[in-house]
This record gives sequence, C-alpha cells and structure tokens, in this order.
Amino acid sequence: MTSTLKGITLKGSAELVAEFFSFGINSILYQRGIYPPETFTRVTHYDMSLQLTTDLKLKNYLTNVVSQLKEWLFECTVQKLVLVITCLETNEVLERWQFDIECDKSAKESSAPREKSIKTIQDEIRSVIRQITATVTFLPLLETPCAFDLLVYTDKDLVVPDKWEESGPQTIDQSEEVRLRSFTTSIHKVNSMVAYKKTESV
Amino acid sequence: MDLEDDTTILTTLKSFNSFISRPEHPQRLSEHSAGSGILQSQYKRSMELLEAAERVHSKNRYLQLDQEKKQMELSHKRARFELEKAASDSARDLEHEVDRNQELLGQIKKLEERAEEANKKLTEQKEANDALQMNLEGLNKTLEERDDKLGAANQTISSLKDEIRELRQKIQNQDSKISGQTLENQELQEKLDLQQRKYQEVSQLCQSLQAAQSSCSEHIIKIKELERRLAFQEQDFAIVKTIKSEAARVPDLEKELKRLKDDNAYLRESRENCSLLKEEVEGLRKKLERMEKTKEELINMELEKERLTEKLHAWENLGQSTGLNIRKPEDLSREVIQIQQREIALKEQNYTLNSRVRSVERSQSELRAELTQQRSKTLEEQKKREAQDALVRRLQKRVLLLTKERDGMRAILESYDTELAPTEYSPQLSKRLREAEDILQKTQSHNAEMEAQLTKAQEETGTLKLQLQTAELELESLKKQQASATDSNSLLTKEEVTILRQKIEDLERERQRLEEQNNILEMRLERHNLQGDYDPVKTRVLHLKVNPTAIAKQERQQEVEALREEVTRLRDLVRSLQSGGAVGHSQDDTHNPSFSLSLAPSKEVLDLRKQMESSELRNQRLKEVFQRKIQEFRTVCYVLTGYQIDITTENQYRLTSVYAEHMDDSLLFKKGSNGSMQLMETEFSKTLGEMVALHLHHQKSIPAFLSAVTLDLFSRQTTV
Repeated sequence: MTSTLKGITLKGSAELVAEFFSFGINSILYQRGIYPPETFTRVTHYDMSLQLTTDLKLKNYLTNVVSQLKEWLFECTVQKLVLVITCLETNEVLERWQFDIECDKSAKESSAPREKSIKTIQDEIRSVIRQITATVTFLPLLETPCAFDLLVYTDKDLVVPDKWEESGPQTIDQSEEVRLRSFTTSIHKVNSMVAYKKTESV
Repeated sequence: MDLEDDTTILTTLKSFNSFISRPEHPQRLSEHSAGSGILQSQYKRSMELLEAAERVHSKNRYLQLDQEKKQMELSHKRARFELEKAASDSARDLEHEVDRNQELLGQIKKLEERAEEANKKLTEQKEANDALQMNLEGLNKTLEERDDKLGAANQTISSLKDEIRELRQKIQNQDSKISGQTLENQELQEKLDLQQRKYQEVSQLCQSLQAAQSSCSEHIIKIKELERRLAFQEQDFAIVKTIKSEAARVPDLEKELKRLKDDNAYLRESRENCSLLKEEVEGLRKKLERMEKTKEELINMELEKERLTEKLHAWENLGQSTGLNIRKPEDLSREVIQIQQREIALKEQNYTLNSRVRSVERSQSELRAELTQQRSKTLEEQKKREAQDALVRRLQKRVLLLTKERDGMRAILESYDTELAPTEYSPQLSKRLREAEDILQKTQSHNAEMEAQLTKAQEETGTLKLQLQTAELELESLKKQQASATDSNSLLTKEEVTILRQKIEDLERERQRLEEQNNILEMRLERHNLQGDYDPVKTRVLHLKVNPTAIAKQERQQEVEALREEVTRLRDLVRSLQSGGAVGHSQDDTHNPSFSLSLAPSKEVLDLRKQMESSELRNQRLKEVFQRKIQEFRTVCYVLTGYQIDITTENQYRLTSVYAEHMDDSLLFKKGSNGSMQLMETEFSKTLGEMVALHLHHQKSIPAFLSAVTLDLFSRQTTV
C-alpha cells in the first residue's frame, strides 16, 4: 500500500486479498456456528462490524495460513482458496466456500501501480462479506458438530513448504452451488461461491 | 359430649355436673314450698357460684399447666424426632438420650400421678362440699380447708412448674448437646460418605457443575446474544430498514424468482434451441448457396439441355441416319457407357499405344540412327556401286579393249596362222588364248558378283524405307492417342474435384459437431470447477497438516476409544456383578474399588428407606395424637364456654350455644384483617338486638355478649 489513493501494487493487492480472507473466514466460522459465538469479539473494519475469533489455537492456525497465502498471492501461484466444512460424525463434506483467485501475472513483471483506489476495493470487499452474512438465510442448518479445513489450490510447479501437504479436493456429493459477488484489486480477482449439500426434504 | 372418659378434667366436670344437678330439685321444691328458705338458698347459691368460680379458676390454671406440660411433651417429642432423624449412626448416644427422656417421662408421669392425687383431694373437697350443703358451717370450714388445700395444690403445681422448667432447661441443654453431637455426627457422616461415595459424589458434583456451567454459559450466551443483538440493531439499523423494505418485497421477489427461474429454464432451452436453429440456419444458408449455385447450374443445364436436345435431335437424326438405335437416354447412356467402356478400352489401348509409341519412338530414334547409318552405308554402297559401276565400265571398256585386243590378237594370230603354219606356233597361241579366256571368265564372274552385291544393297535400302514408313505411321497414331488421352484426363480431374468438395463438406460438418461437443464439455468443466474439481496436471491442492478438522477428528477418535474402554470395563463389571459378589472379590484388585462403590448406594438406600419409614410412622402417630388432642380441646371448649366453635369458611367462625333452642340457632363471627372479630347477621342474631346494642355497640365486649347470650338461653331453658 505505497500510494494510498492513487493506485495499488502487487504487494498491496496481495495484502488486501489476504486480509479479506482472514475476515471472510472468521465471519463464515462465526455465522455457521463452527465455533461458539462467545469465543468471538467484535471489531470494526471496512466500515462495518466484524467478528474475530479469540480462540488462540484457531488464531494461530489462521495467521499461519494467511501469511503463507500472502506469499503465494505475491507470487501469483494460488488459484483457489476453499473452506471446507465437514461433519464430524459421518466425515461428510457439508459445505464448500470457494474463492477463485485470478492473478494478473503481468503485474509480476511491471511494478507500475494499477489505478484503482483502495476505497473502492474495500467497498467491493464489504459487499462480499455482507453477502456471506446473508447466505445464512438459505443455507441448511448444521445440526451435527462440524469442523473446518482450508484448502489452497496452487500451481503444480510450486514447492510444497513444510507443515503443508497435498490433499483431496473434498467435493460434495450432490451439491447445490450459489455464486456470490466478486471483487478485484485489478491484479487479483476473487470470485466467491458456496456449494452445499442438497437436503433430502427439497 | 363424652363424659365416660376417665381423664382428670372430665371426672371433675362430672362431679361438677352432679353437683349442679343435685341441688336443682330441692331448690325448686324450696321455691315452691316456702319463701323462708329464699335467703338461705340465695346465700347457698352465691356460695355455690363463688365456689364454682374458684373451682373454674383452679381448673383453668390446671388446664394451663396441663397444656404447658403437653406442649413440653410435644416439644420433647419433637426433639426426639430430631434426635432420631439426625443421629442415626450415633445411635448409642441417641438411645442414651432416649433413655434419659424416658426417665424424664417417668418423672412427668409421677407428676401427673401427683396431679391426680391432687384431683382426688379436690374430689374429697367436693364431697366435703356436698356435706357442706347439709351443713353450712361445716361447709365453710371445709371450704376453708379446701382453700388451703387448693393453695397447697397450687403451690405443688407451681413447684411442679418449676420442676418442669428445670426439666425443660435440661432438655434444652441436652438438645443443644445433641445438636452439637449431631453436627459432629453429620460432619463425620459427610466425611464418611465422602470417602465411601467419592465416585458418585464426584459424578453428581460434576453433573451439577455441568448443569450450573451450562446454565451459566447459557446465561452468558444470552447476555452476549442480547448485547450483540443490540449492537446489531444499533449499527445495522439502516440495513434493517432496507432489509425490511426488501423483506416486504420478498414474496414478490420470490414469485419473480420463480418466474425468472422458469424463464431461465425456458431461455436455456431456447438458447439450446437457438444454437440448434443457428446451426440449422447456417446449414440452410449453405444449402441455399448451394441451391443458388445449383440453380445457376440448372439454368446453364437447361441451356445446355436445349443445346443437348438439339444435339440429341441431331444425334437422333444422326442415329437414324447412321442407323444406330439411339431412342432413349438409356440407350444413350448405354451407348455412352459402351462408348466409355470403349473409351476406357481405347484409353488402355492408348496407354499401351503410348507406351508402344514411346518404345516405338525410342526404336524409331534408334532406327533413325540406324537409318542414318544405313543411309551413310547406302551412300557408301552407292559410292562403292558407283565406284564399282565405274570399275565395271572400266572393266567393260577393258573387256572391250581386251576383246578388241583379243580380236586383234586373233587376227594377228590367224594371220600368223595363216602366214605361219598352224603346226608350229598354234599350241603357243592356243595356250595364250586359253589364258586370256580364263581371265575374261574371271572378270565376268567378278562383275556378276558386284552386281549381286548392288542389288542386295538396293533391296536393303528398300526394306529400310518401308520400316521408316511404318514407324512414321505408328508415330502418327500414337500422337492421336495421346490427344484422346488428355481429353479423358480432364474428366478425371473433375470427378476428383467433386469428391474432394464432398470431403471438405464432411469435414466441415465434423468440425461443427466437435465444436458443439467442445462447448458442452466446457460447460461441464465449468460446473466441475464450481464443485471444486481441478486439473491435476496444472494444479495441486494443499492444506496445513495441523488443521482443525484433523484435530477434531483425532479428539473424537480418542474420545470414542476412551468410551469404548469404559464400556468394556463396565461390561466386565456388570458381568462380575451378575456372576456374584464372591467372584467379584476374587477378581483383580483394580475392580474392587469400583465394586465397593457400586454396592455403597444400595446400603444407603436401605438406610434411607428405613429412616423414611420411621419418620412416616412418626408422622402418622403425631397426626393421630394431634387429632385426638384437638378433639379434646374442642370438647373442653364446648363444655367450658358453652359454645361449639366451628370454622365454616376461611376467617369465619360459627358459635352454637349448648343451650340453643333450635339446632340452627347460631352466631357467626368474622375475623377482620386487623384481627378484630365482627358479628355477622344470622336469623338467631336478629332476635338478640338488645344484647347486641348493649354489649357490642356500647361495651364493645364479645365475651360479655356471649356470656349474656348464654345466661339468657340458660335462664330460658331452666325457667321452662
């Protein structure tokens, strides 16, 4: 975030997107009740009130993932970030929050900042998070205890760092998909969507 | 009223009754008989009343004492209950205390006996009083004596009271001691219980704790929830408004959504249809183009046809003229096929001829070369011949010369012969002649040979010329064949072009089909992408090894294992319990604690059950005692005050006098909120207007009113 109002660089873009993921994941975990609501605290960001976890283990995990993600965003090697919600009783995937990331790899070569103000980007991010909050109205209720996992889709030629390992895509059998809003920093474009397991009643 | 009861009070009452009932008759007699006895009787009556008052007073005191005693008994019993309840394990101490209590009870009984003795004395006094009726003076004396006795009795009663107080104090002391002991006992028992039932208590505590925690957490959650909601409401007020407006539109939107979904589906179908139609349109356009082309071709064809028909006519004419049977197109086609076949045959021939031409040309060139050679040869030959001709001419000339020479020679010879005699020189001459003749013959043969050679050479040239002519002919024919061959070649290329065009069209169709397939596959790919599929060649999926799901799963597994272990352990325990305590004891030491834990509650339950039974029994007894006492109290009240008091409803008391003329005559009192009693209006109370006005309104005394009513009723009864 070198020039705050005039434009945005690759580094700034990566930081913005990583920040969005941090808040987005926190609000999904809060909204979907994966962690008890009393372990969250309210902060104000993007001109709106957001929930942030106070659970130390979860905090550590999220900072680990987000910092690594930032690196990858900077290298433009990440394709997707997926938040998978799994039922603990049946080991069945119930929800998939997928964030497709389109990187403009030309930004790696030219260091010239793009002309898009941070305010407009934050406005876009805010509307995405609002939509995530609103999805609770149509998503099926999670009746069983659930846990979540974060998957990162990266380019094949990437060196897998320590502590990371390869995983399956964890797809949902018979899913229903809903596309959410997207935002772009003009370097990274993030398309969000949620897929959830179809309920039998419908 | 049951006067058969043998209690002290009732016996006193009986005696009193008898006392009252006895003088009634004589009094009446005296009233009837003479007025002289009035004064005496009045005095008697006053004395009686006085006496009765005193007696009542003493009785009341006694009753009070008795009540106190009863109260003491009751409190004592209550203490006993508490003792029994509290000190189950320190039973020895309790029994000791109970023994003491029994002793005390015995003392109390003694006191009661003493009271009975006093009562007996009272009866004696009554007897003395009876005697006093016979003799006033004796009566006075006995009265005094009795007063003294009464005083003594009072003293004894007060002394008894003191004793009772002392006893009560003692009991209180004991109570306090017992309570201390019970406290100690309870502590000990609690400790004991703690040791005995550690597991159960812990679990109970845990449960209670959990419940408390859950309730606590629920409350906290509620509080937080409320706070959060408040915050949300405050902060997202604007959003809420918009949402409200949106919410109002929700059904419409839903409808619209439904409609749009339908539209969408319809549009999707129509899009597919559209693409299909587009393809069709494309195909049709192409067809149209082709059709136009074909149209043009058709026109051309028609023109051609015209031409051809003309030609055909010409042909037909020709056919007619030529004699070929060309009547129908089939014939023509047959003819054409025949011609084609012929052509093909001719072509083949052509090819063969071409090859032959080539070979012939080659041979021709060879022949030409040969020809030139031959020509040169012939030229040489001609030259030779000419040379030989010249030679022949020269030779002929020579021959002529020779012949002339010979002739000359002959002539010479003949002349010689004639001149000379034939005999001398003739042989020489003949010899010479012969030689000349031989030479001639030789030259002639040589000449003939040369001529033969010449003719031979001429023949040769003739054959060569013939060959040349045939070769030239062949060449021409070949040239013709070649021309026809080129014609057939152009036809072939046309066919090839059409074939190739068809192939191109096929390929175009194939391409379109593949494009559609490609589109479908791309759509599918997009859908798979949405569902989270990825290209394993380009992409890899990573996640942290230590992620919440893995941790949660691990924890869950551990929990399951622990539970499973517990289940197996408990199952073993159950089995051992089923197989019997002895087996359980004989098993491992690790099983024993849990075993004893499982047995402990049953023992306690039995204890508790016993306690409960005993307490219930006590309750029952107490109830019976209370009932009896209340009945007694009510009877006493009735007897003493002359009123039976019933509680009709809450705070309402009905008083029925013992002297009531009718069963229904009763007074109703209501207890006010401040504790004051108020008389309610009844049929009976209406008849007592004067007394109500005097005692209640003027004197404001209910007891006075009641006694006045009693006296009035009593007087009415007695006067009748």
